[in-house]
Amino acid sequence: MAIRDDFEVVAGQVRTVVQRFALGLLVIAAFGIMLVGKADTVLVEHARVLALDVASPVLEAIARPAAYANRAIADLREFASLRDENARLREENTRLLAWQTAARRLENENEGLRSLAKFREGPEASFITARLVGDSVSAYMRGALLNVGRRVGVAPGQAVVTGEGLAGRIAEVGENSSRVLFVTDVNSRLPILVERTREQAILAGDNSPRLRLTLLQGVAGVQAGDRIVTSGRGGSFPVGIPVGEVVETSDGIIRVRPFTDFSRLEFVRVVDYGVTGLVGTGAPAPPPPPGGTAVRSR
Amino acid sequence: MRTDGTLALLDRWGRAALPGTVLLFFVLLTLAPLRAPYLSSALPLLPALVVFQFSLATPERLPGPLLLALGVLLDLLLGGPGAPVGVSALGFVLIRAAVVANRRYLVGVPFLFQWIGFCIVCWGFVALVWAFTTLWTWAPIDPVPAMLQYVVVIVIYPLLAPLLARVRARDPLNVPELSRGGARTGETTL
Repeated sequence: MAIRDDFEVVAGQVRTVVQRFALGLLVIAAFGIMLVGKADTVLVEHARVLALDVASPVLEAIARPAAYANRAIADLREFASLRDENARLREENTRLLAWQTAARRLENENEGLRSLAKFREGPEASFITARLVGDSVSAYMRGALLNVGRRVGVAPGQAVVTGEGLAGRIAEVGENSSRVLFVTDVNSRLPILVERTREQAILAGDNSPRLRLTLLQGVAGVQAGDRIVTSGRGGSFPVGIPVGEVVETSDGIIRVRPFTDFSRLEFVRVVDYGVTGLVGTGAPAPPPPPGGTAVRSR
Repeated sequence: MRTDGTLALLDRWGRAALPGTVLLFFVLLTLAPLRAPYLSSALPLLPALVVFQFSLATPERLPGPLLLALGVLLDLLLGGPGAPVGVSALGFVLIRAAVVANRRYLVGVPFLFQWIGFCIVCWGFVALVWAFTTLWTWAPIDPVPAMLQYVVVIVIYPLLAPLLARVRARDPLNVPELSRGGARTGETTL
């Protein structure tokens, strides 16, 4: 009996101490977590991926109605400008038809020249179509969550594209979810080519909607309106994915507007180029998917 | 202690779990692709609003360790490469401490003053997260987006706070000791 009483007294004292220093203990715990996160990045990556995997089904449930609502609002907006839009599209259509003819002619010519030169094509790319289930946008980051993961062959470093052009690259991969880092993120560095002059440069994000061109050899050659495409350096990106166009060249600072409209992304394609090279986080490439979701392009 | 039926038990559990569940919902909502201009940029600060409001209303149902866990979850879900994990947790715990220390004043004053209180506390939270992220990544981070988030969440506060405040019992004496603060009979928020 006496032992039990003693135990209760001690327990009571401990409780008082814990209550008195509760705030201090919690603050120390928070700092501890931050330090552990800084010291053991692998552990934090695992925790992130686990959290993503757990949260992505919930997010998908939220994302669907949100997507419907967004689409309804967008429809209403477009309805208001239907006539202008129609005229613009008709004009664009005539222009594109002319381009189509030119493209057909060039494709034929290219094929002929390739067979003459016995040109060996690079690895074939396959696409994994993904739905955006979450925005990972804050004051410190530009990214999104996708509903595909390691199970269908997504790996860190792969390119993420939309119909308009490059959106970003895969940063973290869970079993059934992954996180894209947009090209506009402050951590994004992309090897690119200026399409007209074939000059190599690095395209850097700074969390603003415009990208910055750096490490360019000759600034003078670049003009507003120049298209920027991926250079394929680093191995994991295919060559020639359109990224954006130059909108501003002043005082040696070149600003690029990305083609992708990040405020309207709903579906994206993850490009599996076969080699996940230097851009990735060092994780080995997964075995090819068992088929089904991944669609091999022609 | 009353002997309770199943329904009363469920009711009590529901009440106890409500603030934590609402906070978890808002933590997950920060990732939802809502795409509403301005609103979506303020989403990452809404959990801080919830923590403030529930710390004011029922701090005993939102204990520190729970805030720590949910803050870490928020950082894990939101953070990009290199972002500090645990800074939101620290912020949440400090918000709760600041509110609980000033509850005696805050529960008694008109809504406008609670709003001002939130402006001050939230400013501290934004500054803390910005400072830690800058230190941690050791890179100059543009503070303007963070300021924009702050302004939007300040504007949203009067819309959301009265809704969240409904979990509070009307009479501060009709609640457990801890959540009573220094309030006396008749000192109600409404």
